[in-house]
Amino acid sequence: MTSMQLLTEPSSLCSSNFIPFNPLYKNLIKPTTKPYPKLSPIRSVLQYNRKPELAGDTPRVVVITSGKGGVGKTTTTANVGLSLARLGFSVVAIDADVGLRNLDLLLGLENRVNYTVVEVLNGDCRLDQALVRDKRWSNFELLCISKPRSKLPLGFGGKALVWLVDALKDRQEGCPDFILIDCPAGIDAGFITAITPANEAVLVTTPDITALRDADRVTGLLECDGIRDIKMIVNRVRTDLIRGEDMMSVLDVQEMLGLSLLGVIPEDSEVIRSTNRGFPLVLNKPPTLAGLAFEQAAWRLVEQDSMKAVMVEEEPKKRGFFSFFGG
Amino acid sequence: MASFWTLQLHPTSIPHQAFEVRPQLGFTKRYRILKGKNKRKDFLLKASSSEDNQIKDETIISKTKNNATRVLQNQVSRLQETIVSLPPIIFSIKRSPHSKFALGFCIAATVLIVAVRAYVARKPKYQRQGSVADLVRRGQLNSDRRGISKTPMYDDPFNNPLVKISKNNSSVEMCGKVYRLAPVTLTREEQNIHQKRRSRAYQWKRPTIFLKEGDPVPADVDPDTVRWIPANHPFATTISDITEDLAQNNVYQKHGVPFRIQAEHEALQKKLEALQGDQKFNNLVIDPGTARNFERPFKSNMKLDDQQQGEHNSANGQTGLRPESQPNSASEEKQTQ
Repeated sequence: MTSMQLLTEPSSLCSSNFIPFNPLYKNLIKPTTKPYPKLSPIRSVLQYNRKPELAGDTPRVVVITSGKGGVGKTTTTANVGLSLARLGFSVVAIDADVGLRNLDLLLGLENRVNYTVVEVLNGDCRLDQALVRDKRWSNFELLCISKPRSKLPLGFGGKALVWLVDALKDRQEGCPDFILIDCPAGIDAGFITAITPANEAVLVTTPDITALRDADRVTGLLECDGIRDIKMIVNRVRTDLIRGEDMMSVLDVQEMLGLSLLGVIPEDSEVIRSTNRGFPLVLNKPPTLAGLAFEQAAWRLVEQDSMKAVMVEEEPKKRGFFSFFGG
Repeated sequence: MASFWTLQLHPTSIPHQAFEVRPQLGFTKRYRILKGKNKRKDFLLKASSSEDNQIKDETIISKTKNNATRVLQNQVSRLQETIVSLPPIIFSIKRSPHSKFALGFCIAATVLIVAVRAYVARKPKYQRQGSVADLVRRGQLNSDRRGISKTPMYDDPFNNPLVKISKNNSSVEMCGKVYRLAPVTLTREEQNIHQKRRSRAYQWKRPTIFLKEGDPVPADVDPDTVRWIPANHPFATTISDITEDLAQNNVYQKHGVPFRIQAEHEALQKKLEALQGDQKFNNLVIDPGTARNFERPFKSNMKLDDQQQGEHNSANGQTGLRPESQPNSASEEKQTQ
């Protein structure tokens, strides 16, 4: 397995340049001097014992893009957005998918979208009337760009999103901590419009070569546009296929794209169920594997952190002596 | 066949009396005694007061039915006398009314203590300010509607028992599955190499202007920054009804009536005023002859029929009935003139 070969270069883990500064990690990072040192302890990717510390200036405008369609941009936006809201941050999610919006469906808010940005631009309503507040978590709001059968006037499409961000900054309720922009697939006018106000990007991809090629292209465009803070989420990972070498591992994907990892989302049948229910995965009880992974990704997004270790292989659970008796 | 078994009470517990049950004895008094689950067996019950059982058995068997019944009654009556002679507690309480009062008082006090204790234990739950129960008690919240806005469940992301990390951080258990953790190997140098590769591969300039296919490129615009939008693009259009400044103002508007709503309202107001002015003008010059043309057709037909009937009746020397609306409309026409 490729991921196992990559393990022979552990010094990269200790690269202080790569690891973003975090006072909590200061004591954990120790430079290694040996040519083949013993693997340094893997800092846990899971942190559940404290509230994450918000890094960067607010509002953090994050565009969630992929290039290829169907890799999970909207699902990621919904779940990461609600996770951020649950962690106590105010979030505005903008569905910038002009013709094929679905974020409202995933959030179960489709019946409450009366006005969109197009109506705001035309003067049919104010911006606060177009924002749909989620009743489950009141610090989460949804804003749709346009209705399914309307067209977005592109004369000032990109500028319109910049105005929206400025208007959200000056709101009476206060500036939101995060503005997540769900980008449409492709690199068409909708993509250009969506990335205009963004300061950072989350690239969603699946471990297959079609998605990776598009992701590489989109990353190049984002970098050309001046967005340097790009992290990726590898979605729909199946550890059983990786073990059988039928699917690229997460470390393979990272090697191909050269982007830091925000999260790894395992394949989960609960995603479809939650999508159909309009109830984001992260709110499921009991929490599912994919929901937990989204939550961790949201955690790292808050702290501008990236994954230092990935789950590469599934091990059979060790059973105790009394497991035969149900222990 | 019924099994043979004997129930015999010890003579010391009930002196001079004993019960003996024998299925073989054919006595008249029959008692049904259940044994086991479904087996019903008939037994004969006999009371005897003799110490020598064998001799008694022989004498009893030899006696007639009447004698046996009498003996049995005598023994039972003696047993009852014995029981009555023993003074039980309840009978002794009955005799003294003070003790009865004391007993009642104790029971009442116990019930009162239990009730007060339950009430005291229950009270803090409702006294918590702002709780749902408190809001329901104060009438602020309808308790029937609590099911609608059910708070999402897994609401403590800081304490998740389904995620366990091993002590040496080498594996993680999530939702019952154990995963091995491998460190990420990407370095900053590798990231820079990838960035350089992409900057060479993808030369891209952000489009600054969107033009419809066929439109001429403005003179001061770099052709590389033009984005050509097909005229029949399903979701995007280059045509906009409003100017850029107006759109920006609309986005920044925080209070008041939105621009278009106000504009439409004003336009409707003007139109209404204009219509009202036109109506006044028309009313001034309205011709009663032409006014009939605007009346509803069925009424005019009726009117015509009435007129025809009136003419016909007048010809016959009769006065026809005219509808009430007719003189009113005529008077209105006169007023307008």
